[in-house]
Amino acid sequence: MSRPGARAGNTGRGIGVALTLLWSVIPIYWAVKTSFQTDADARANPAQYVPLRPTLENYRTLLTADSDVPGQIRRAALNIVVECGAATVVTVLLATLAGYAFARMRFRGRNVLFYAVLATMAFPPYTTLIPLYRIMSLLGLVNTYTGIVLVYVSGFLPLATWVLHNYFSSLPESIEEAGLVDGAKRLQVLWHLLLPLARPGIISTALITFLFAWGQFLFPLVLSSDLSTQPLTVVIASLQGRHVVPASLLNAAGVLAIIVPAVLALAFNRYIVNGLLAGSTR
Amino acid sequence: MITRTSRRALLAGAAGAAAFALTLSACGGSSSGGSASGGSSQTSGVTITVALASDPPPKAALDEFTKETGIKVNWVNIDWDSLQTKISAAATAKTYFADATDVDWSRVGQLGKLGWFYPMETMVDTKTMASDMPQLTSFTKDGHVVGIPYDASFMVTTVNEKMFQKAGVTEMPKTIDDYTAALNKVKSAGVVKYPLNIPFAAAEGLSTYWYETTGAFGGTVLDGAGKPQFTTPDSAGYKAATWMVDAIKNGLVPPGNINVTDSQGSQTLMAKGQVASIFSDYSGGIGTLYNIKSASSVVDQVKYIPTPGVTGTAANLGNPDGIGIPKQAKYPQAAAKFIEWFTSAKKQEDFAGLNGQDKIFQGYALPSHLSVLQKMSESGTLPEGKSLVPMLQGSKPVFPEGAPAWYPQFSNAVYTNLHAAATGSMTVDAAIKTIADTANRLASGS
Repeated sequence: MSRPGARAGNTGRGIGVALTLLWSVIPIYWAVKTSFQTDADARANPAQYVPLRPTLENYRTLLTADSDVPGQIRRAALNIVVECGAATVVTVLLATLAGYAFARMRFRGRNVLFYAVLATMAFPPYTTLIPLYRIMSLLGLVNTYTGIVLVYVSGFLPLATWVLHNYFSSLPESIEEAGLVDGAKRLQVLWHLLLPLARPGIISTALITFLFAWGQFLFPLVLSSDLSTQPLTVVIASLQGRHVVPASLLNAAGVLAIIVPAVLALAFNRYIVNGLLAGSTR
Repeated sequence: MITRTSRRALLAGAAGAAAFALTLSACGGSSSGGSASGGSSQTSGVTITVALASDPPPKAALDEFTKETGIKVNWVNIDWDSLQTKISAAATAKTYFADATDVDWSRVGQLGKLGWFYPMETMVDTKTMASDMPQLTSFTKDGHVVGIPYDASFMVTTVNEKMFQKAGVTEMPKTIDDYTAALNKVKSAGVVKYPLNIPFAAAEGLSTYWYETTGAFGGTVLDGAGKPQFTTPDSAGYKAATWMVDAIKNGLVPPGNINVTDSQGSQTLMAKGQVASIFSDYSGGIGTLYNIKSASSVVDQVKYIPTPGVTGTAANLGNPDGIGIPKQAKYPQAAAKFIEWFTSAKKQEDFAGLNGQDKIFQGYALPSHLSVLQKMSESGTLPEGKSLVPMLQGSKPVFPEGAPAWYPQFSNAVYTNLHAAATGSMTVDAAIKTIADTANRLASGS
């Protein structure tokens, strides 16, 4: 039989969790609900809390219509996939090499370099916005996929390196030693022996990087000038001030924007948590 | 731990390079480089980028410009808030991002002082323009014209005449007291629960609402030296703030308006018949929103009324959009040619639909040329034009001597504290005092 104090504690915790969930879920529910309504229903007074006449018209318009706004949304969706995908690949590649080197190799200044990498995470990202903009401008990379991807990589590489460093550190050294004794080169050991073992860490790093990149707004806003590179986050924000864009269509675009990260986060939640906790216990 | 391998240098180099790149990106200096200002004087065979918070004019119009001048136009549409961020980022980084872009009335002081834009009087004939563009003065700072107004946005009072009449208000109010009484009548008659929209979200729209209301109470917000004019309870600004906060406390304004911005209020409250009036609305809203069937359920019901003042009609305050040339423009002379064309009376007639539907510039608010507005009113193509023309003629700048360079910080203090007063977390008196302290501190340069 549980004590009254413990029961009250559990009840309080339950209420707290429920309120937190509602706080997070209600806006998303409202966006999803609105996306399945006509604009007239979405703006009805009193408000409809569930779609009384659900329709897929907004999604059909977004995915197939030739008009201005759907075309922009589709192009922006392509941009965000390209930019986030490329940033993820480059970040994971560099972070794997750097994380391994920091975890396993001894060289002069290793700790200083490693902590310098980690220290960059303490900088508020926006302090680097103007310098990065200027550098990209000098290199002619403003409004290019390359420029945006490079900025994402520079922003997410420290965290990725740290996650993979922790992961490589948690693997037994005897595996590498056995490989080296058998005559394998260092990169062969890394490729054939360690990477398969580190796959969960690499997957979690890729997911974290991709999700962070997907949510970016200010950097791509400044670094992209037009629809050739603007990601979905920037384009959706730019549509909301226009009177002519129906709210239901905007919400459908918003739902499309959250589907990819939501599916990834739900499907691979285990990897994300493991990646962030890697190395926290030995 | 393994200490020696044949690939050590390579991998250590990779780690080092990654660290160097990261450190560089985090600490990236701003000491060198940057696009030089000055640009090319070429005015033919070039492509200029025009960045505005608007869809482009008709393609045929831009093609015609290209044919006339040899200048191609790459039009970039960025929402207003994002555009301001981009302008600031590009100017701070001394980096090119467009050849011509938005100059908002509220940023004229700041942009003028910081010298981010070319003085337009050296690029186009502003003296000739001035006689037909009453709002050009809003874009002048220390004798320099920072941008050319391309629309004539100004703040107006809109009422849903049908709702007012339903409540028995047959004569439109001419004073603030009459207006408040009419709103109470609409509420008590049960026509709508909350008849007035005031966008109390902590955003720029709340500041401009207060400026217009202050004007209606017969005063100004700041004097020419930037000193606050609203500190005493008998001042117009103080009375305006009290009136606005009382309106939400007394149930004239929907309680949810604490988080409603100006455009949201127009689109979701006024256009949907959930409120009966906006004291400080956007001119042109009837033609571009309230009378658009797909966006509004109050078609033909909304009217402009002369702004109710203390004893009679008050002046409307202008908040127009202009276009200017950033110092980092690649082709400033070509951009000047575009601005001359884009803001000409002839082109504004086309954009406003005086010369045929195919020439209309979708989303274009009101022409900045008075003569074009008059033509529109006479031809019947401007909804409520007979009301709007005299309002524009009598409109005044929010800051008669130009917005101060520190306007963004001041506006931030205005909307933050008025929002707090509306939520009840501070008194109007405390809000006014904090705003005044901010203005005094900014004006003194500390």
